[in-house]
Amino acid sequence: MLRQLQAGVATLVGPDLRYGFINEQMRELVGPAEPGQLVNEAPGRLPPVLLEMLPRIHATGTAHTAKACPCGPEHCYDLSVQPYHDEQGRVAGLLLMAVDVREQEQARQRAHELALTTRHLDARLRVLTETAPLMTFTTDAAGQVTYVSPQWYRFTGQPPTADLTAIWPLLVHPDDRLRVLFEAEAARRTGTGWSFEYRLRRYDGVYRWLLSRALPEVHPPDAPVFWHGALTEVHLERELSEARRRGEAELRFLADSIPELVWTASAEGLVEYYNQFTIDYTGLTKEELGPTGWVGLLYQHEQAAAARRWVQSVASGEDFEGEYRLRRHDGVYRWHTIRARQLSDGSGPRWFGTCSDVEEQYRLRQVLQTQYDELSRAHHNLDTFVYAASHDLRQPTNNLRGLFEELRRSVTFADPEQTQMLEMVDTALTELDSTLIDLATTVRTQRQQQEPVEVLDMTLMLEEILLGLRPEIMQRGARIDVQVGEAPGLRYSRANLRSVVHNLVSNSLKFSHPSRPPHIVLRSYLTPEGEPVLEVRDNGLGMHLDDPAHPTFQLFARQHTHVDGTGVGLYLVQRIVSSQGGHLAVTSVIGEGTTFTIHWTTTDSPA
Amino acid sequence: MKHVVYLSRAVRPLTDQDLQHLLDQSRHDNARNGITGVLFYSHGNIAQLFEGEDAIADTLFARIAQDGRHSHVRKLIDKPITTRSFSDWSMAFHPLATEGFEALQGFLLPHHIPPAPSSLPIADALLVELVRLAVFGPDPAQPYQHTLPSAP
Repeated sequence: MLRQLQAGVATLVGPDLRYGFINEQMRELVGPAEPGQLVNEAPGRLPPVLLEMLPRIHATGTAHTAKACPCGPEHCYDLSVQPYHDEQGRVAGLLLMAVDVREQEQARQRAHELALTTRHLDARLRVLTETAPLMTFTTDAAGQVTYVSPQWYRFTGQPPTADLTAIWPLLVHPDDRLRVLFEAEAARRTGTGWSFEYRLRRYDGVYRWLLSRALPEVHPPDAPVFWHGALTEVHLERELSEARRRGEAELRFLADSIPELVWTASAEGLVEYYNQFTIDYTGLTKEELGPTGWVGLLYQHEQAAAARRWVQSVASGEDFEGEYRLRRHDGVYRWHTIRARQLSDGSGPRWFGTCSDVEEQYRLRQVLQTQYDELSRAHHNLDTFVYAASHDLRQPTNNLRGLFEELRRSVTFADPEQTQMLEMVDTALTELDSTLIDLATTVRTQRQQQEPVEVLDMTLMLEEILLGLRPEIMQRGARIDVQVGEAPGLRYSRANLRSVVHNLVSNSLKFSHPSRPPHIVLRSYLTPEGEPVLEVRDNGLGMHLDDPAHPTFQLFARQHTHVDGTGVGLYLVQRIVSSQGGHLAVTSVIGEGTTFTIHWTTTDSPA
Repeated sequence: MKHVVYLSRAVRPLTDQDLQHLLDQSRHDNARNGITGVLFYSHGNIAQLFEGEDAIADTLFARIAQDGRHSHVRKLIDKPITTRSFSDWSMAFHPLATEGFEALQGFLLPHHIPPAPSSLPIADALLVELVRLAVFGPDPAQPYQHTLPSAP
């Protein structure tokens, strides 16, 4: 019977404990021990602690049990030692029983390790959920809130004793409450997760937008029992996107309200948006217009150039601008200024374009151009007439002078007053002649404004001009200083320079002060900006500036009527200088003298 | 008949071998289906204009839109045409090794692309110019590395 046992059995006989019976299972423990051998001589894998106890058990007769005793490196047994008695009731030997508990023991070890790991994981999970900046929660299938992380208490300011299930709906914004309850309920009923946003009351009473996401804990085939989720504050994002949505809607509205064609295009130059006015003006839908349809609306011959210009703008990022005729829904073309600019910001470059109707301006401009052309023609005709007239009148004047000379020679006058009258007639005739010459010169100058420009040597030029004025200079005993060292060269037209200087110098001579000989200074120099200037300074009569009764630079305006002159000089000078892009400045003190400053040009630098 | 223009991004850059394979296969398929047009490729940017019978063109675009080799497919135009503007189907790209490609039927170097045919309406010609610019950049003779912005 002992052989059938699922445990190792052996008897140790006598006080010196010799092996008696050993069954098969016990062989695993004691090895090849023979009956009759002392247990101490062949202990096999019996633990030494037990071996020490055996004599004591034999002596006292009390049974002993050792649970899960490690025997050798791999084995583990429940060992029990019981004394057995002979007929006289004395202890005859010990009955040793061993049950292999290796597997049970390993299972227990595993369970222990598992428990440790679980505890470790649990701690980690708790630390993570309690330190993450989001609130976590768990609800059951009935909607009872069974857990919220400490963040929730901190956020809501609720005491840890709060009844979560009862208080939670009250903290949700009244406008969101029903929706939230309904959606959570629906998710629990269908066993799905949820993701929605709602406003939750913070500890300070302010409602903040939160994103609530939860998933059911599923153990198929059972229905889910718990839902775990997290609440994230999305208040700023929400407000930002709300503001952006509002801003975009407002911009669209604005663009759609403007009575101009407005459109936006992607970085590649493909139009993505046309405003309502574009749709109304063209009579085409957004789909019909498409990403490049606008070009087809232009006047046939302008399409290719506009397309090329647009490709160029897209390639380079330069602004697009041009005037084009744009077809209206009724087939009428109207002039438009098309403008587009590129906006580069964080979301990549985009194009914003407008087409403004400039038909009215265009028409007005055309009318003005026509009128201008007519006026300019009329002006030219007038010039021609004046030139022709002055030219044609000189001949009869010369004839008149000749005849008059003849008359004076052949006729004798008795009355001295008559001689005086003769002189007056002569003077008048001379004056008439020089007026006619000046008039012709003025007209000719206006035509010669396109004179060739060359680099002139000021010293030579001024010398040449003064030589021409030599008789007058000699006659008046004038002293003339020429200072050209600072700017000896000038890019200007030779004839124009001669006209200007000649006129100014002869003016200075003409209007000299009666009580002193004229002193004229010609100085060529550069302004600090590098512009060439000629200054003509005299010590003559001086003149009234800014006096409407005595205009300075007008045709036939003369300030000193007692001096010979035609009133053409300064007008001519002014016209020449301004026609070459320069200007004339004058300062004058009556009775002391006049200074003319000729700014030849404001663009060219002296060569 | 209709024509379709789209822009897209390759999921990964295509090698010379990929491109040659695409060229061979597409030319073969397109010739059989009566599809003509041109495809531009550079550094992952793709643009294509193709023309064909309505049903075939629609099927082709549906297949293109589903093709896993590219993404961000933006159809820019899809409209009826009366006549074809392209006589066959070709592809323009910068191979790493130009040798061997120049002899291939239907291959074009980007700076050898002929100007848009005059049979294209001006708006469509402009569209082709703009997508070509978007793919190859201002100087098609130079490889142009950039990323097309994805559709908004």
